[in-house]
Amino acid sequence: MFVLPPPPRYSTTAGHNGLPPGTALPMIETNNILSNPSGPEYQFLVGEGLYVLKEDLHLATPPPHPSETPLANPNPLSTAPQSATAGTRLTLLNLDVNPLSPAIYRTASRSDGAHGGVQESPDERQSSTDLRESSSDAGRMSSVDNSLFRANTNTPAFGEGNTLLAPAAQKDPNKRRKPKNNMTKSNSSFISRVINHESLPKRLQERARDGLFAFANINRAFQWLDLSSPTKAEYLTKILFTKAHCLCHDVNKLTKSATHIDVVMGFSTGEIIWWEPISQRYTRLNKNGSINGTPVSQIEWIPGAENLFLASHMDGTLVVYDKEKEDSIFAPEDEGNPRASGDTNGTGRVNYTSQIYVHKSVHSRNQKANPVAVWKLSNQRINAFAFSPDNQHLAVVSEDGTLRIIDYLKEALLDLHYSYYGGLTCVCWSPDGKYVVTGGQDDVISIWCPSESPALIARCQGHHSWVTSVAFDPWRCDERNYRFGSVGEDRRLCLWDFSVGMLHRPRAASVRQRGSISSRPGVSPLHRAETFATAGTSGSGRLRSDSNLSSSGAPLGAADGERERVLPHPVEPRATTATLPPVLSKTVDDDVLCWLGFTSDAILTSCKNGKQSQSPT
Amino acid sequence: MAGFFQKLKGSGSGVSKSDNTASAKNKKEEPQPDLTPLEKLLHNAGPIREDGSDKFFGLENFGNTCYCNSIVQALYHSEQFREHVVNYPPPLPGNESNGTNWKVNVTVRPPVQAEANGNATGPSKPRQSFGGPQLPPAVPPLRPEDKPDSPEYKKKQAMLRGPVLDLAQENVDPSGMEECTFTGLRDIFRAMIHSQSRTGVISPQRFLDIFKRNNEMFRNSMHQDAHEFYGIVLNDVIANVEANAKRMQELADSKSDNDLSQTEDTPLAARTQDAAGLMTRSTGTGWVHDIFEGVLTSETRCLTCETASQRDETFLDLSIDLEEHSSVTACLLNFSAEEMLCERNKFHCDHCGGLQEAEKRMKVKKLPKVLALHLKRFKYTEDYSRLQKLFHRVVYPYHLRMFMTTDDAEDPDRMYELYAVVVHIGGNAYHGHYVAVIKTKDRGWLLFDDEMVEPVDKHFVRNFFGDKPGMACAYVLFYQETTFEKVREEMDVEGLDQVKLATQTADSATTTELPNGSSTAVLSKLNSQPLSPVDENETLAALDQARSAPPEIDVTTPSAPLPAPLSVSEVHPLVAAPPPGSAVMTEADQAATVPPKTKAQLAKEKKELKAREKVEEKARKAAEKEQARLAAKERTEAQRKRSEAARLEREQLAQVLKESKQMAEEEEKRRRREAGTTTTTDTATSSDGGVGSGGGGDSEHEQHHRHGLFNRAGRTSKSMTRKSFAFLHIGQNTDENKGGGGAGGDVKGYKTDRSEASEDGIAKGEGSLLGTKENGMPHNSQHPKNGTSNGANGSNSSNSSNSTGNGTPAKKASNPFLVRAIPRSETAPGAVDQLRRTPDKHDREKERDSKEIQKPPLKERFSFGLGRKKSSKFLSSAS
Repeated sequence: MFVLPPPPRYSTTAGHNGLPPGTALPMIETNNILSNPSGPEYQFLVGEGLYVLKEDLHLATPPPHPSETPLANPNPLSTAPQSATAGTRLTLLNLDVNPLSPAIYRTASRSDGAHGGVQESPDERQSSTDLRESSSDAGRMSSVDNSLFRANTNTPAFGEGNTLLAPAAQKDPNKRRKPKNNMTKSNSSFISRVINHESLPKRLQERARDGLFAFANINRAFQWLDLSSPTKAEYLTKILFTKAHCLCHDVNKLTKSATHIDVVMGFSTGEIIWWEPISQRYTRLNKNGSINGTPVSQIEWIPGAENLFLASHMDGTLVVYDKEKEDSIFAPEDEGNPRASGDTNGTGRVNYTSQIYVHKSVHSRNQKANPVAVWKLSNQRINAFAFSPDNQHLAVVSEDGTLRIIDYLKEALLDLHYSYYGGLTCVCWSPDGKYVVTGGQDDVISIWCPSESPALIARCQGHHSWVTSVAFDPWRCDERNYRFGSVGEDRRLCLWDFSVGMLHRPRAASVRQRGSISSRPGVSPLHRAETFATAGTSGSGRLRSDSNLSSSGAPLGAADGERERVLPHPVEPRATTATLPPVLSKTVDDDVLCWLGFTSDAILTSCKNGKQSQSPT
Repeated sequence: MAGFFQKLKGSGSGVSKSDNTASAKNKKEEPQPDLTPLEKLLHNAGPIREDGSDKFFGLENFGNTCYCNSIVQALYHSEQFREHVVNYPPPLPGNESNGTNWKVNVTVRPPVQAEANGNATGPSKPRQSFGGPQLPPAVPPLRPEDKPDSPEYKKKQAMLRGPVLDLAQENVDPSGMEECTFTGLRDIFRAMIHSQSRTGVISPQRFLDIFKRNNEMFRNSMHQDAHEFYGIVLNDVIANVEANAKRMQELADSKSDNDLSQTEDTPLAARTQDAAGLMTRSTGTGWVHDIFEGVLTSETRCLTCETASQRDETFLDLSIDLEEHSSVTACLLNFSAEEMLCERNKFHCDHCGGLQEAEKRMKVKKLPKVLALHLKRFKYTEDYSRLQKLFHRVVYPYHLRMFMTTDDAEDPDRMYELYAVVVHIGGNAYHGHYVAVIKTKDRGWLLFDDEMVEPVDKHFVRNFFGDKPGMACAYVLFYQETTFEKVREEMDVEGLDQVKLATQTADSATTTELPNGSSTAVLSKLNSQPLSPVDENETLAALDQARSAPPEIDVTTPSAPLPAPLSVSEVHPLVAAPPPGSAVMTEADQAATVPPKTKAQLAKEKKELKAREKVEEKARKAAEKEQARLAAKERTEAQRKRSEAARLEREQLAQVLKESKQMAEEEEKRRRREAGTTTTTDTATSSDGGVGSGGGGDSEHEQHHRHGLFNRAGRTSKSMTRKSFAFLHIGQNTDENKGGGGAGGDVKGYKTDRSEASEDGIAKGEGSLLGTKENGMPHNSQHPKNGTSNGANGSNSSNSSNSTGNGTPAKKASNPFLVRAIPRSETAPGAVDQLRRTPDKHDREKERDSKEIQKPPLKERFSFGLGRKKSSKFLSSAS
C-alpha cells in the first residue's frame, strides 16, 4: 500500500523555486480540475445497471516543499531511504446523521447518502436502480442495526472500566473541545501553508446539509472538499505540510456536527495531527515521533470513542492515542504485558505468531498522557487495519502477509492467517461482520470467515497486479449475498459477488447467524470470539495454570492461556480452495488506483496522483 | 561519536544533491571514513565460513562486462548452485586435499604499483602508495568518481581498498577437466571462498576470456544482454559437466578394462574409477538440471474431437511478456493463458488425423528449484529496426507461488522467495548498465554494482518496478525455492530493518527539529542486521585466526612487497574482526593506519591518472562508437527497406487469405515473396559467414538424437532460425564443448509443439526481415530446408497440411537435406539456444501490429522474437 511517490509531473530539471521570472511552469499543479469524460470506455455494465463515469476530479499534487532539495538527475541506485507515501485516500462525510448513538454503524454515514441528491441520476435506469437498492438497503440496515444492538449490549466500550480514560466532563455536551492551536496563524515548521477558500464561511452556510464532504490526502497536501457543491473542484481548505507526507486520515463519525468535525491525520514522520476544520484549529500528537517515530500507515477513530483513535505504525505497532492528551516519552510497561514473560521459552525470542505484545494496556493506571495503549504485533510493517462492525474485533494486515484478528477490547490475538504469498495490503469487514476480505501482493483477494476452520472461504482472481483497496458495497449486500469491490495497481476496478451457497464448502452453522462473530455460538476450537462476549463465564475455563493474571483485571487474564491455541494457520493449498471470478474487471483509470469507496449510488475510486473519479450507477 | 556516525551515514546512503557537495567538501579535509557500509555490516562477523556464504566480492568491470558481473553474482549467491559448482568434480576419495581444497591460481594484485597488473585488457586501475608526499587538495571534485556518493567513487574506492584478486592465468584442474566456462566460473567461486577477506574485488579476466573464446558475439566491448549471457553460461556449464562426466566414464572404463587386477596397486586408476563411480552414484552431472530445470507441459485440446494431448518440454528460465501495470504473477498467468490454434496455425490432431482448431495452454509440470524469470523488456519498435525498452511498471513480490501448475505437478504450492534481481539501467537495449540486487543468506540485501558492494534496505529491491526515474528496471528475477516455515522465521528476525527505514525517513523529515536523529538511525541500522549470535561470540577467535593464518590463496609473485597491505589488513575490521562494540577502536585504528593527508594526495594522483586514462579511453570509445554508428546506420537502412518489403508482402498475403483461398494465387504470391527474400538476402550476404560455423554441428546434431526429445519438424524450423545467426560466428571456433553446450540447452528448452507450417510461415512472412540478418548463410543449405518447408507452407494457409508440429515420418524421409542442413545451422551460438530454450510466448507488440493484417499464428509471433534478437546481435557484432 505504501508505494513510492509517483514520478513528479513537473519537470525536475527546472527547479520550482529560484527560477528566473517569466519562466513558465506549466507542470505545477495548483488547482483541482474537474472533468466529465464520456464515452463507452468510461462505462461498464453489471447486474444492477450501467455505471457511467460521472466526474473525474483531479486533485492538484503538490510539488515538494522549496526547502526540500529537488531531485536532479536521480541516481536510480541511490540507496537513500525513500520516504513513505500513500496515494490519495479519501474519507467521505455526511453531517446529516444523528451523531449521538454510540452504536453507530460504521457505514452509517454512507447510508445517509441514499436519500440524498448528492449526484443527480443521469438517466432513468439510474433512478430505478436507486429505488430498488434503497429499499433493499433499508431492510438490510435495520437488521444489521438489530444485531449490532444485540452485540453492543454485551460489549463494553473500549477502555471501559478504566475511569482514567473517561473524557473530562463537559458543561455543555454539545460543545466540543477544540484543538489548541490556530492552523491559519500557525508558525509551526511542520505546516507550510494553509489556504482557505475565500468564501469558506459562506459556502459552509449555504451548502445542503446532507451533502457529502470529502477529505483527501495527496502527498504533502490535505484537502477538504465539498462534493455537493457545484464548485466541488474548489477546495474548502487546503493544507500544505512542509516535508511530511500525509498518509492517512479519518473523521470521527461520532462527534461530527455542523459545527465540529474531528479529523486525525497520520504522517510519514509518525506524527499525528488532530484538526478541526470548522474552527481551523489543530493539535500535534506524537510530536517528533516521541512515542513512535515510524510512519503511520492507517489511522482510525475507535468506534464509539470521542477521543481515542488507533494508529498503525510501520514498525508493526498499534498505538491508541487520546486526542486531548499530551505526549510523553513512552517506555513499555511491564505490568501491562503479562504475556511477554510467559512466552519466552528459554530463548528470550519473541514469538509474534502466537500473541500480541501489550506494551501498554488500555487498562494501565498510568493514563495521564499519550499513548493510551501500545500493542506490538510484529516487526513487519502494518499495512492496514479495520474495525469489525460490532466494534469488538480488529483485522490487521501486514507486509509479511499476515491477517490478524484481534480482540482489541481484550487486547488479545485471536487468529493469525497467511496470504497465499506476499504481503497483504488492505482489509475490510463485510457489513454484517461475518467475513473479512483482504487484498495483497499475490494479486488475489481472499475471503475469510474468522469463525470457521479453515477460515479461508475463497480466493478471488481477477486483478493483474497487487490489490490496493477493498471495500464492501453495503447497498448491495444482504443476508446471503455480498458485493464488494477492489482496486489495484493494475488500474482495474473489480466487482465481486459471492454468496454463501455459491461457494462450495457447506457451512451450515454460520448461514443463519447474523451479525458479528461474537454473537455466534461457534464450536470450532479456533473460534474463541464468542467467549469474549461473555468473558466472565467462559473465560475462567480457558485459564491455564501458568497464566499470571495481571493486575489490570480479569478480562485481560482470560486471554492469557490461549497462547497455544493461537497457532498460525497453514496456508491453504490452491487445490482445496474455491476461486471466485469477478463480475466485473475494468481498467478505470490511467494511473495506479489506491482507494475505493461506495456510496449508495456511486463508486468512488482514487489513484496515486490525486485523481478521484466517480462512477455513479 | 555522533559525528562519526553521521558522517558514515552521509557516505553510506547517497543523500540528495546539496548534501553531496557539502559532504564532498568535508571529505577533503577529513580522513576517509574507512568503513564502507558493507564493512560496517560485517564488522563483527566472526570466523570465515567454509561455504562462502559470507563472501561479498565485487567483480571488476573490463568495459561493458557488467552483464557478466551481475549474473555471476546472482549465480554465486544461489547456495545450491555455488555448492555444486565448487565441489565439482567431486573430491577423489583417497585424495581430499586435491579436491575442493586445491588452490585457485590467484594473483593478489599488488596494491602499490599500477604497473604490476599485467593483465592485457583490463584497464589498469592505478593505486598509490600510502604515505607519499602530501599535496594540497588541488582541484574541486569534477568527475563523477570524485563525488563521494557516486557509484564511480565507490567503485574506485573498492578497487583501492582491495584485495583485488586477479584471475588471469589458466588454472590446471587437478581432476583433469579442460578449461571451459564451467572451470572459469568455478575458479571465481573458489577464489572468493578461499579468500581470507570477506570483501574485495575479483577480476574475472580468465572467465571472460574463456567465455568470449567460445562465444563470438560477446567478443566485443559492446553492451550485451545479461539474460542471454545467463542462458549461455548455464548451457555451457551443463555441457562442460556432461563432457567431463563422459570423459571420466571413458577413463574409468578403459582403466578398468586394463587394470582390473591392478586396481589395488595403481592409485591413479583407483582414483579415477572411484571418482567415476561416485559421479554416477551421485547423479554427478544432473545437478544443474536439478537446480534450474523445470518442465512445461503444453496441453492441446482439439476442438473437433476433444482429444487432449500433452507435450512436455524443459526450461531453464521463463521469458514472460509484460503488460503495463501488471505484476509478475499476472504475467506468468498470461504466459500460460489459453490460446486458440486456428487459421494458419491449426493443430494437427493425431486423433482426427488432420488440421483442426485447438486450444492450447502452457502449464508448469515440474517446478525448478531456482526459477529465473526473464522480463521481456526489449521489444522491437514499430519498424522493427531497433529494440526498444519497455518501461512498464511490473511489480514483483518478495515471495511467489506459481498459479499455473498442472494438476499432477509435484508440490504445486511451492513457495519461492526472491533472492536476486538483475537490473538493467538505461534507455534501450544497446546501452546501459547491469547491477544485481541480491539477498544474501544472513546479511540481508546487497547491491552488487561491478566492483562495489553495498548493503541496501529490503525496500530498495522495489525500486526497479520500472516506473521510476532513472530508467532502472528489473530484467531478470531469480526466485529460489523455500518453505513457508523458513519464510516465517525470517520474517520474525527481519523486520527490524523496516523499522530502521521508517526511522530514517522520519528523521530526514524532521531534521529541523531533531538534529540528532540521524545518529540513532544509523545505530539502529547496524543493529537491525540479523546477525547470528554465535558469530558475535566468536569474534575474538576470529581475530586470532585472521592474524595468524597465512593467506590460503596461492599468491603468485606480486611484484611489490606485501608487508604494507598486510599490515593494513591485519587491523582491517574485515579481515580481523574486532571485538564487538569496537566502532571506536576501529576508528582509531583506521586513523592510525591511514593518515588523512595521504588519502587526499592519493586521491589526487589517482585522479590524474584516471584523467589520462579517461582521455585515452574516450578517444578509443569515440572511435568505436563512430564505427558502430556507421555500421548500425547502414544496417538499419537496409533493414528498414527490407522490413518494409516484408510488411508489404505480408499485407498482400493477408489480403489474399481473406479474399480467396485459392491455391494458385497464393502460390504465386509465395513465389514472389520468396524471390524477394532471396534477393534481399543476396544483397546482404557476405560470403565468409556460414562456413566458419560448421564444425561443432555434427556433435550437436548427434546430441539431438541422443536426447531424442523433439520431432523433426521442430528441429527444422529451429535450425532455420539458427541459421540466421551463423554469420555472427564468423571464424567461430569449432569448440565441441560449446556446440555441445548449445545442444544441451537446445534439447532442454526447445519447444517442439508448434507447427512447422506456421513457423515456416513466419520465416516466410518475415522472410525478408530475417533475410537481412541471414547474410552469413550459405544459400544452398538454406534452400533445401527452407525450400522444402516453404514449398509446403509457402502455400501455407490453405494447404499447410503436411508440415505439422508432429512431423510425420513421411516428411522426414522425404527430405534428405534436412539432416544435412541442421548441423550447420546448429552451430549458431547459444543465443539461439537460449531463445529457444526460453519458452517465448507471443510478442505483444507484434501481435498488435499484425492483428490488422491477420491474427498471426503462434509460431509467427514466436519466431518474430528471434528476428528481433538476431538483429540486436547483428548490431552489436557489427562494430
